[in-house]
Amino acid sequence: MKKLIALSLAVVMSIGLAACSSGGQTSSGSDGGNAQTDGKTVVYWSMWEATEPQGQAIQQSVEAFEAETGINVDLQFKGRTGIREGLQPALDAGQVVDVFDESTDRINTIFLPYVMDLEELAAKYNYEETAEPSLMSLCRELAGGKLMSIPYQPSLWAFFYNQDILDEAGVTELPTTWDEFLEMCEKIKQAGYAPITCDDAYSTAMFGHHLSRLVGEDRVVEIVTNGEWDDPAVLQFAKDYEELASKGYFVDTIASNVWPSGQIADIGSGNAAMYLNGSWLPNEIKDTTGPDFRWGCFAYPELEGGEYGLEAGSYGAQCFAINKESQVSDEAFQLINYLTKGEADQLLSELSVGIPADTTNTEWPEMLECVKPVMSSFTVRWSTYCGANSNSDITPALKENVLKLCGGMITADEFVANMMAASGK
Amino acid sequence: MKRNKKTLIAFLLPAMIFFTTVFVYPVIRTALMSLYEIDNVTAKVSQWRFSGIENYIKLMNTPVFHSALWNLLKIWLIGGVAVMGLSLFLAVVLSSGVKGKKVFRAILYFPNIVSAVALAVMWQQYVYSSKFGLLKPLADFFGWQWLDPDHKFAAMLIAYCFGMVGYHMLIFLSGIERIGQQYFEAATIDGANRFKQFLFITLPLLRGVFKTNITMWSVSSIGFFVWSQLFAGTGVAIEASLITPLAYLYNQTFSNTDVVVERNAGVGAAVGVVMAVLVVIVFWITSKLIPDDDIEF
Repeated sequence: MKKLIALSLAVVMSIGLAACSSGGQTSSGSDGGNAQTDGKTVVYWSMWEATEPQGQAIQQSVEAFEAETGINVDLQFKGRTGIREGLQPALDAGQVVDVFDESTDRINTIFLPYVMDLEELAAKYNYEETAEPSLMSLCRELAGGKLMSIPYQPSLWAFFYNQDILDEAGVTELPTTWDEFLEMCEKIKQAGYAPITCDDAYSTAMFGHHLSRLVGEDRVVEIVTNGEWDDPAVLQFAKDYEELASKGYFVDTIASNVWPSGQIADIGSGNAAMYLNGSWLPNEIKDTTGPDFRWGCFAYPELEGGEYGLEAGSYGAQCFAINKESQVSDEAFQLINYLTKGEADQLLSELSVGIPADTTNTEWPEMLECVKPVMSSFTVRWSTYCGANSNSDITPALKENVLKLCGGMITADEFVANMMAASGK
Repeated sequence: MKRNKKTLIAFLLPAMIFFTTVFVYPVIRTALMSLYEIDNVTAKVSQWRFSGIENYIKLMNTPVFHSALWNLLKIWLIGGVAVMGLSLFLAVVLSSGVKGKKVFRAILYFPNIVSAVALAVMWQQYVYSSKFGLLKPLADFFGWQWLDPDHKFAAMLIAYCFGMVGYHMLIFLSGIERIGQQYFEAATIDGANRFKQFLFITLPLLRGVFKTNITMWSVSSIGFFVWSQLFAGTGVAIEASLITPLAYLYNQTFSNTDVVVERNAGVGAAVGVVMAVLVVIVFWITSKLIPDDDIEF
């Protein structure tokens, strides 16, 4: 009797395990269901949180997509941390994830071995007819010539400013050179405002942009990777920023601004005029600034003797990719196509105050109209932070010393010496 | 007898299997990983590249890891002395018959049931804020800002210790309440004042509790990560003044920042091994300094 019970339990357990394992092997469920799509399910791991505007827009569009096509979408909001920590282990373990998204750079480096070549699918759906050519080229360039990802929600780095403050300060021309930038800062300061603010999270972007203007991003990467802090360009950066600090062009709390303190309390509340940040900034502080805030934007100024001018800048996008093991790649591409085109793309743009990916969506959010000329002026692409953060062993010291430099806590020479020490030299 | 052995094995086997799977195997795998260069923590063993003790040499030659170890020592020692001292003081006060003991005990323990994220935001945005923070006047008096790179570590440590005092106070309190009142009554009759009673009765009888508290504090210090990340901002690099070994391990293994950088789970594993060795050393020293209780009361 006992043996019979044991045998029965073993059979039940085996069936249970078999059911579990088969459930994890496929997402297609190709039996039964909708006539056109056979009720196939696309598993989509999103880099957004459900509460973010991007998440809300994607949620709405996915529901519309399901209703329109009959394809089921298992939408899972993982957030940036969830994707960065969990996606690769999940893919290595063979877990079904058909579609996922992350930044252009991350998709086309870390996740590249896991993604499918999309050239055929893009051709089949005539995807590139209304796609932004520069972003498509960027995706191909980063992936070694093949289209392995689909870009959406483009963004760029620039100085974002409060137009009202500039008007009050009598600034009529936007600066293109460092000297003009200094003149503008002086006018803003004389008008009673702090010209520049920043938060700790973005502080190294100032270093990256300045140094890249001088020597280019590739050289910046070499400097931070090899510890070549004795490069004269580093000292020039430090001296230029030492000057900004000594002239009082930074908010007096810059060294202690913990994100999002600077962007909310300085920019959002109208105490400071400018912030070197991404085009996501207006969205992030729209609840503080309100709809009447007049945003402006200009590219990082040219530097005397610098190798790069206003044609170079940091821009990129988020990217969708399809798991190369996906059993529903066609349906997955249909989902991507839907989310990055037409109404869904427009909705994403409106809710998240972002730049549309579909070239037929010519209407940008009003807050981002100022970004158009800067975006169109870039012909040389730098990555986010322009290579400044490319050595994880150095970034902690770089972040700290840039903040100290901006806060007037160290001199330019001390900055260089501290960075040399941080590199073990 | 033979049957008993079978029964013994049958009962032990499930536990042994689980212990081997979730503890022994990961420990061995981590130790092995530390000898390899590994791009991804879940990469197949066939993709690992043997590098000998290269990862340990890298750690020895990396200034930011030295900063991490130094920060850990400061957290353990300075924070430890502050938390142990304050929690013992509060435990003694609460056990002295003060009115409202339960209310104070609940208030002091309260930070332990609040999310660290909420606490960190509260400290940064409302207590330390350079614009309107509760403690801004104090920083103004000394001419610095709480969250500037020179004082951010101290700010973080104060915030962390504030939350930990209640936890350790409860452990001390339970130890004090275990001591029979007859000892204090006898000492009172003999003319000992409150301070002498504390010094010659309470403290010696709390030796075991001290050991427990130091062990718990050491464990939480070694695992110090969340507060560093929260004070630096999620998704961004942690400053050298805030970084701890576990935060460094996380960076090396997952690289959870906006920028794609080279990862090496082997270095992460090496940090794990170094930490494990440190834990063993700390526990050994603690055992030597504070021997087990030999007094029954």
